[in-house]
Amino acid sequence: MISLRQSVPLIASALLLVLATPHRSAAQNLEPDQILHPAPDSWPLYHGDYSGRRHSALKQITPQNVADLSLAWAFQTGQNASIKSSPLLVDGILYFTVPDNIWAVDARSGHMLWHYNHPTTQGDHIGQRGVAMYKGWLYFVTPDCHLISLNAKDGTVRWTKDIADVNVGYWTTMAPLVVRDHVIVGVSGDFDNLSGYLRSFDPESGKVQWQWNSTPPAGTPNATTGGMTWMTGTYDPDLNLIYWGTGNPTPVLEGHTRPGNNEWTCSIVALNPDTGKFAWGFSVSPHDTHDWDAVETPVLVDGDFHGQPRKMVMQTSRNGYFFVLDRTNGKSLLTVPYGPTNWALGVDKDGHPIPNPDKEPAQDGRIVAPDEGGMTNYRAPSFDPATGLFIVDAHPSWSLYFAKPADGTYGWAGADYGLWGKGLIEAIDYQTGKIRWTHEVGPYGSGAGVLTTDSGLTITGDSTGNVLALDTTDGKTLWHAGTGAGMQSSPITYKLDGRQYIMTGNGGVLFAWALPLHGAAKQ
Amino acid sequence: MLGVLAAAFALLQSPVRAASDTPTQQASAESSEKLGAESYASHCAICHGNQREGILPGFPPLVGIQHQLTDAKIVALLREGKGRMPGFPKLADPEVASLVSYLATAPAAPTLGVNTNSKLPPEAAAGSAIFLQNCAFCHGRDAMGGETGPDLTQSKIVLGDKDGSAISGVVREGRIGKKMPAFQFSNSELASLVAFIRVRVAAAASMKGGRRGVEAADLQTGNAAAGKQYFNGSGGCAKCHSVTGDLAGIANRYEGLRLEERMLYPRDALSKVAVTLPSGKIIQGVLAYQDEFTIGLRDSNGSYRSWSTGNVRFTVDSPTQAHVDQFPRYTDKDIHDLMAYLQTLR
Repeated sequence: MISLRQSVPLIASALLLVLATPHRSAAQNLEPDQILHPAPDSWPLYHGDYSGRRHSALKQITPQNVADLSLAWAFQTGQNASIKSSPLLVDGILYFTVPDNIWAVDARSGHMLWHYNHPTTQGDHIGQRGVAMYKGWLYFVTPDCHLISLNAKDGTVRWTKDIADVNVGYWTTMAPLVVRDHVIVGVSGDFDNLSGYLRSFDPESGKVQWQWNSTPPAGTPNATTGGMTWMTGTYDPDLNLIYWGTGNPTPVLEGHTRPGNNEWTCSIVALNPDTGKFAWGFSVSPHDTHDWDAVETPVLVDGDFHGQPRKMVMQTSRNGYFFVLDRTNGKSLLTVPYGPTNWALGVDKDGHPIPNPDKEPAQDGRIVAPDEGGMTNYRAPSFDPATGLFIVDAHPSWSLYFAKPADGTYGWAGADYGLWGKGLIEAIDYQTGKIRWTHEVGPYGSGAGVLTTDSGLTITGDSTGNVLALDTTDGKTLWHAGTGAGMQSSPITYKLDGRQYIMTGNGGVLFAWALPLHGAAKQ
Repeated sequence: MLGVLAAAFALLQSPVRAASDTPTQQASAESSEKLGAESYASHCAICHGNQREGILPGFPPLVGIQHQLTDAKIVALLREGKGRMPGFPKLADPEVASLVSYLATAPAAPTLGVNTNSKLPPEAAAGSAIFLQNCAFCHGRDAMGGETGPDLTQSKIVLGDKDGSAISGVVREGRIGKKMPAFQFSNSELASLVAFIRVRVAAAASMKGGRRGVEAADLQTGNAAAGKQYFNGSGGCAKCHSVTGDLAGIANRYEGLRLEERMLYPRDALSKVAVTLPSGKIIQGVLAYQDEFTIGLRDSNGSYRSWSTGNVRFTVDSPTQAHVDQFPRYTDKDIHDLMAYLQTLR
């Protein structure tokens, strides 16, 4: 029996322990540590975690029981726009978007808590990739280039800040990246010759902290414009670097006014998130003339490469090449095509594809593989550590590209026409680039991203609206469900109240899939 | 009370309005319009836009609404709402009347512009907002071609469309094969879109050499004799095609880019499929549907039949496969030569 005098320090230290441990306060709150180490019942940012691997440790749903996967609930947005966002799950509430709209949905019941709906008339409403969260606040970009901070509890607006000027041709669609006390946002727009950039905002005040420009302003001699930062980057907390892909140069199909590699367009760059200072850059598509943005997820993987442990960044890029780089210094480890390509003369000693001048758009046309949509696009790939497979929804394709002097040197400056393409899920061995298995997902191509889990499942979708669960080792279909609309986003997964859910957006409906409650497999 | 009586009297005298019980204050049209504008701004603009340009896809433009709805219908809508539009049952009659009157007048200023330099007429202005939000990413802000969509100012469908129905048809149905989605627009929205596209066609025609697109004249760099050799030789075309048979007169049916695209990949060609049932019976037809789980065909009677792919065996005969196989083998010279040769087949 301890005395009161003895127990006070005990109580005090217990209290200190409770207060010091980063634990979730009541609800609708996301601390930086929770993004750094996501709990199984969360999906705290667009990628799920900072690595961008879109790989989950959850094992309740397995290749053995996935045949019993069924619908837990569906949420109908009741409007036409296809869901292109990855939902966030924080404290049992899902937050997802379409342009101009955010929904907060109870992840247990599938019913709506609130709906932010503020139509805008300017800016391209092509899509919206989702919100970011910091403490009790959500961050949302609008087609007309505003960053809005909202109260996660009720969707009320705290402040609105400018990201760019929609009147000169920018628009914004991406899901911001929160790194500690930085909300990092990128821009879109290549119908005009504009400079691309990343802008970091203070999450509380909305003040601009820094801006990094991928290209100089239009009119700068011996330079290009473009390099839009269309999609969300990834982050290495140990190196304290963010990794971001940049878009194509402008004018798009006409390269004569911008000779050279056109840095930093179609590149992977590493920046310091606190200052925006440039650490290194790698040109994925030097002197691009086919609109092949390199904005696909720069996936961070720690593992062996040819017998040596490496910190790597990997990208299946739009131009048809799979890149593995050392992410500490940007040096190339592997550059290899992952589908039919015919536009390069080869790969140089530093791992850059060498564009063939003969395959630049021409007046009488050039046949080019892949097409302008690219070997892959916005749909996320996934890295599975157990098999060492980098799995991507690929689009082998062929097209014609044209450009002539009459097309000018502004914006698109040419024309391109897709001839044929198909959708193919490819599982790439990251050390060699060899494709270990493929899975056909339909003519024209599929818009679905890929998610993998530790139990050995690959979740994706085909072109006709089927959600697919494949065996990660060989790509065979283990389960499917027809949803009536092709996925235009990437799946997520989480565990809530001991039950694992897989979530997909198809058309205007959000689906939550899980094993049936009665007879659900034990973990 | 007196105001309402005056309004009713004015209604009886008005030649413009059809028989309706809508009170209209013709006598004080100016103040009515101001009231209408204010009423619009406070009740309607949030959804239908400050300039009545609408906010697509959910909130239609109201420009020209008097061509689509009678006054009585507008009043009913205002009072009762429809679908997601709320009703405003508590609005006083004079306010409703002034709103209707306001909606019948053209907006004061053109709506949010595109990068055109000239002021757009109201219908085209409404169309430009719709176009910017829904079409521009693929077709370009100026409709002259973009990410994945062709230059509409050079489109045969656009140029040949007399009354807007052809353009409207494409917008409503989409083009699945070319990845253009279908859009559900109302008649007035489509009309405004057509108006905008027509403005762009006119603007493009007056541009000196600024056009993007592909003209037949751009595609004439090949050699027909070399093309004929390729056709009968390494191109492999003669295995399936005959210049006196299926390809006779092909250059009369297609020209320019359309001919070249179809030459490289004839996307309309139909595949055949033979399905073997568990009984051993074979059913043949034209492939009508195929995904990983279902195979469907139209038989010789035109009837649609389908099966789970797990229950049957089947083989698909796709005439386009040979075209796909040829893609990696073409040089650009082969394509230009082949084009030159095909264009002799008249």
